[in-house]
Amino acid sequence: MKILVCIKQVPDMESKFKIAASGTWYDSADLAWRMNEYDEYAVEQAVQLKEQVKEADLTVLCIGSERVKETMKKALAMGCDRGAHVADDDCAGKEPYEIAAIIAEYAKDKGFDLIFTGMQSQDRGSAQVGVLAAEMLGIPSISTIVTFSYADGRIEVKRELEGGVKALLKTRTPALVTCQLGLNTPRYPTLPNIMKAKKKELISLPVADLLKVEARMETVKMYFPEKKGGGLVLEGDPGQLADKLIQILKEKTGVLA
Amino acid sequence: MKILLVAEYRDGKLLGSAYELIAFAQKMAADSVMFLAGSEAALPAYDGRLYLADAAVCGEFNPDVHKALLLDVIAREQPEMIAFSHSSYGWDLAPRVAFALRAAQVSEVVDVADGALVVPACNAKLRRNVQVKTAKTVVTLQAGAFGLADAPAGTPAVEKISADAAGKLEFGGYEAAEQGGVDLSKAEVIVSAGRGVGKPENVAMVAALAKALKGEYGASRPVVDSGWVEHKRQVGTTGQSVAPKLYVACGISGAIQHLAGMKKSEFIVAINTDKDAPIGEVADVLVVADLKQFVPLLTEKLQAL
Amino acid sequence: MEFTREIYWNVGHGALTLVPMYLLVIAALAVLVWGFRKRLAVYRQGLPLDRTDQLGARIIDMLQNVLLQKKVARVVWPGLLHGLFFWGFFLLLIGTTLIVIQADFTDLLFGIKFLKGTFYKLFSIILDLAGIVSILMLGGLLVRRYILKPEGLETKRDDAIMHGLLFTILISGFVIEGARMAVTEMGTPLAHWSPIGMAVAGLMSGMDEGALRMLHKTTWWFHLLLVMGFIVAIPFTKFRHILTTSANYLFADRGPKGKLIPLDLENEEAETFGATTLKEMTWKDIFDADACTLCKRCQDRCPAYATGKPLSPMKIVNQIGEAAFTDPDTKLIDLIGKDALWACTTCRACQEICPASIEHIRKIVDLRRSMVLMEGEFPGEEVMAAMEQTEVNGNPLGIGYASRGDWAEGLGVKTLEEDSEVDVLYFVGCYASFDKRNIAVARSFIKLCHAAGVKVGILGKEEKCCGEPMRKMGNEYLYNSLAQENIETINGYGVKKIVTSCPHCFNTLAKDYRDLGFSVEVVSQVVFLEGLLLDGRLKVKAEGLSCTYHDSCYLGRHNDIYDAPRALITAAGGKLVEMAKNREEAFCCSAGGGRILADENIGERISVKRVMMAHATGAEVLLSNCPFCLTMFEDGVKGAGVEETLRPRDIAEVLAERLL
Repeated sequence: MKILVCIKQVPDMESKFKIAASGTWYDSADLAWRMNEYDEYAVEQAVQLKEQVKEADLTVLCIGSERVKETMKKALAMGCDRGAHVADDDCAGKEPYEIAAIIAEYAKDKGFDLIFTGMQSQDRGSAQVGVLAAEMLGIPSISTIVTFSYADGRIEVKRELEGGVKALLKTRTPALVTCQLGLNTPRYPTLPNIMKAKKKELISLPVADLLKVEARMETVKMYFPEKKGGGLVLEGDPGQLADKLIQILKEKTGVLA
Repeated sequence: MKILLVAEYRDGKLLGSAYELIAFAQKMAADSVMFLAGSEAALPAYDGRLYLADAAVCGEFNPDVHKALLLDVIAREQPEMIAFSHSSYGWDLAPRVAFALRAAQVSEVVDVADGALVVPACNAKLRRNVQVKTAKTVVTLQAGAFGLADAPAGTPAVEKISADAAGKLEFGGYEAAEQGGVDLSKAEVIVSAGRGVGKPENVAMVAALAKALKGEYGASRPVVDSGWVEHKRQVGTTGQSVAPKLYVACGISGAIQHLAGMKKSEFIVAINTDKDAPIGEVADVLVVADLKQFVPLLTEKLQAL
Repeated sequence: MEFTREIYWNVGHGALTLVPMYLLVIAALAVLVWGFRKRLAVYRQGLPLDRTDQLGARIIDMLQNVLLQKKVARVVWPGLLHGLFFWGFFLLLIGTTLIVIQADFTDLLFGIKFLKGTFYKLFSIILDLAGIVSILMLGGLLVRRYILKPEGLETKRDDAIMHGLLFTILISGFVIEGARMAVTEMGTPLAHWSPIGMAVAGLMSGMDEGALRMLHKTTWWFHLLLVMGFIVAIPFTKFRHILTTSANYLFADRGPKGKLIPLDLENEEAETFGATTLKEMTWKDIFDADACTLCKRCQDRCPAYATGKPLSPMKIVNQIGEAAFTDPDTKLIDLIGKDALWACTTCRACQEICPASIEHIRKIVDLRRSMVLMEGEFPGEEVMAAMEQTEVNGNPLGIGYASRGDWAEGLGVKTLEEDSEVDVLYFVGCYASFDKRNIAVARSFIKLCHAAGVKVGILGKEEKCCGEPMRKMGNEYLYNSLAQENIETINGYGVKKIVTSCPHCFNTLAKDYRDLGFSVEVVSQVVFLEGLLLDGRLKVKAEGLSCTYHDSCYLGRHNDIYDAPRALITAAGGKLVEMAKNREEAFCCSAGGGRILADENIGERISVKRVMMAHATGAEVLLSNCPFCLTMFEDGVKGAGVEETLRPRDIAEVLAERLL
């Protein structure tokens, strides 16, 4: 069985973000980088599947600069067999369609039985790449899965809907699934596996070889939103305070909808 | 401009997000038509044309078939924009449609400004304005971002459609949300009690507010230490780390481990008598009040909504 | 008249006595040696560990501990009973040896007798008193064990054998003496030099000489057999502690205290890290079990045990021994239980009090290492998350690393990147960098330094967690990478001296980092401030303060810094009311051993228990010197419901308020 898991390196969301000089993206200085949280679940599920079927080859794919190799090493330490690094110093500017196209171009002739991706990335949050890549490859895809099982060329999953409701779905491989948080408990790489990971194959491919489409949209401006409440301090009569707070909750949050 | 609004239907019910789509169309000052894979028994109050596919036939969730139905409607109506909710239904179906249309897709739109679509980035810490380069645009709208000013009204002009496409996925039904067990990490609203609640009886106040907000109640470590609240409701790095849409901290001064465990919440309200408590640093709104007075009042007013 | 006595009186000094007697002695000693050789093979199942360096100092330590019972005597009543019993029995052994030397060696070969005259009188009275003291002490110990039954004291078959054998040996000794004296010494002035013997002889006054001689002879052989039995029993009962505990003083960890043995992470051959079976532990870990006397002092002081967690340091030590002697392939983690292993706060109360120099913490950390490094297992997801946060941002709180220096805003403190010409580098630590409560402490420290004219620099965003909680949790790999980065940064600036306000950072930088080639002088905040005070550079006014002081484990037991913080408190005018458990006996706050990262979900909360001890002193302020302690106590006073009357503070804050 051949398995592909696609991961992204993202800034830690606790980082101090600054807007880059271009004004269209965040500055990469002073950021701490990590594996996109959703992708950790994807890697874990892929490794679990590999462990289940025994005879499997698991590739991890990541697009980005040299820096992303650190994140790839974590995936290798978690149990991926080999790494495919799509070398691209400007991957932050690529929109989901381009990213999906790169993945599809890479995967199209490799006969992957299953492809795992995160449900979305933490920085862009578009939730498109996985489904788009599957459409490009012409294989079925199921997004936002919270359970996964495989047997005899068929997968059974539950997708998470709103309010904790789940939908049960089945399909045949080859297929692609996008993983939601909570799908499993991503493992903490063991030290022997961290050491083994250092010796695993990690091939870099130039992005130009794989990117054959053009962007369909662009970010024209990135900025900090006006402060939600902005550390608003409310004082005064409790009754009026309650009304004020309800007004704020209505305006700034979706919870009273 | 014409927008095709893709409403949602689940488990025999129309979802209220349909009205957010209508509100978006109004905000865009665009004409709209609507698509719904649902049932005649559950139609939105909508003054326009509604393409209705019978969910009993095409399935409530069947992306391949719904895509085929939508493409059919799009071919007929030629809208410039197709709007979905950014929901489990919308974010799954939208890319399929966008790919088929060779259209750009902009996800989780929260606003429209300077002729650009505004979307959040990095856990809503940042925003970006996006401009598309394709003739058609697919968008998904953040839940709650667009709301109707007035009560929805009207009766749609229903046009029934069907497709003979077959899906690649087999739908096996729904599984209800788990009842009972508290899982704060999944709660959308958490109201937490700190030592400021004073005595164990007052925890009930906090629980009532949580209920009024359709959320769960939690507690800081000292409250759990005192045995006022069960351990599994402890919020903090040494308890549950949470990231709800709304976090209300009642009488919590904000020890570092508590803060680190809840500060990823999207919106934080702190109710505290001490203006300078550390919780104020992460709070979006700090209500300086005696929570024993304020919380019941707020609960009452919320229940009256 | 000559004061002496006929050795081998009544039993005869001929071959009929000596041959069977020495055969018995040789046989008993042979069994003793055989017994220990068998045990030696078991100890050897462990990995090598050099414990024969500094041999001279080791021997002195051993003699002090054996002869003066230094560690044993630290717990007053049982310590006194054991100490006096030891000396009584030891004197009897010396006395018997002297008799053997004279009768079967000097007298036999050279006709030299030294047990005579004044020396014999002293000999008599000393042995007589040693015998009765031994009996009384043993009686005391027996009452304690079998009647008072202190909580947690395990009584087994071995204890019955030991008490029975010792009692019978001692009493039969007096019977022999009494019978002999009744026949030969009663009425002579010499009798008064054996008062107990004389009293026993008095009891036998009704017996005729034939019966007394009969009684003497049979008891003498009986006594001899019992003593041989005692020798034979040493390797097979807890009597072995006479030798193993003594040897353990010789093999004791000679520090630095609280420094762990690093794992060789570079070793590409290594297939396992940490310990799962005792074969991956050292021989000393097995030997420790044999040195343990089950005195339960460790268990009595264990904060985890005291709050209902499934951890007893004593039990762990003995479970490892049990596995070694039954099935060396036993999976120790399953045997001991994960909850027990994770519950340890590495507070060192067990190790500090242990009268047998057993090393508890290293064993627990070794087992944790294998859980973390080989299985990727943690006490809970929150701990795994903290590890991941630390990997990404260099702090377990998961706060963006770039804001690490923000706390110092407005204080005029520069980072070394901006200005590396400083008197000291302040290694701030994670909590003082990010936690508002502890930032107040860090800011106080800077104020004090500035007042004393000390130029302080910080690393700002270049500083990383020192790695202590991760290391104690068993994550040697993460610790190692954090340590390497910090060392490289600090060395890069040519720093001469580092001050830490966190005792965990202090212990790590000052001791653990040494194994990684780090050599910069590291001083803890309290010692540094005390120095400034003594130099007259720092001047504070004494202003009334009702307080109690909590010795943090890592400043106290791990580093023996007890007086400096108290001197600072006194200088600040503190009226210090000590808690019952203070200094070496201080009760942990719960946050050591990486537990600061973990949910405490079994039993009572340790911090609340400690806060109640502080509350009981009636003091208004609970002073401490550690960010972890302060964090625990800030929650603890609320959990205990005493936040209105007891305020946790750091010494630096109190001093900064009193700056002149």
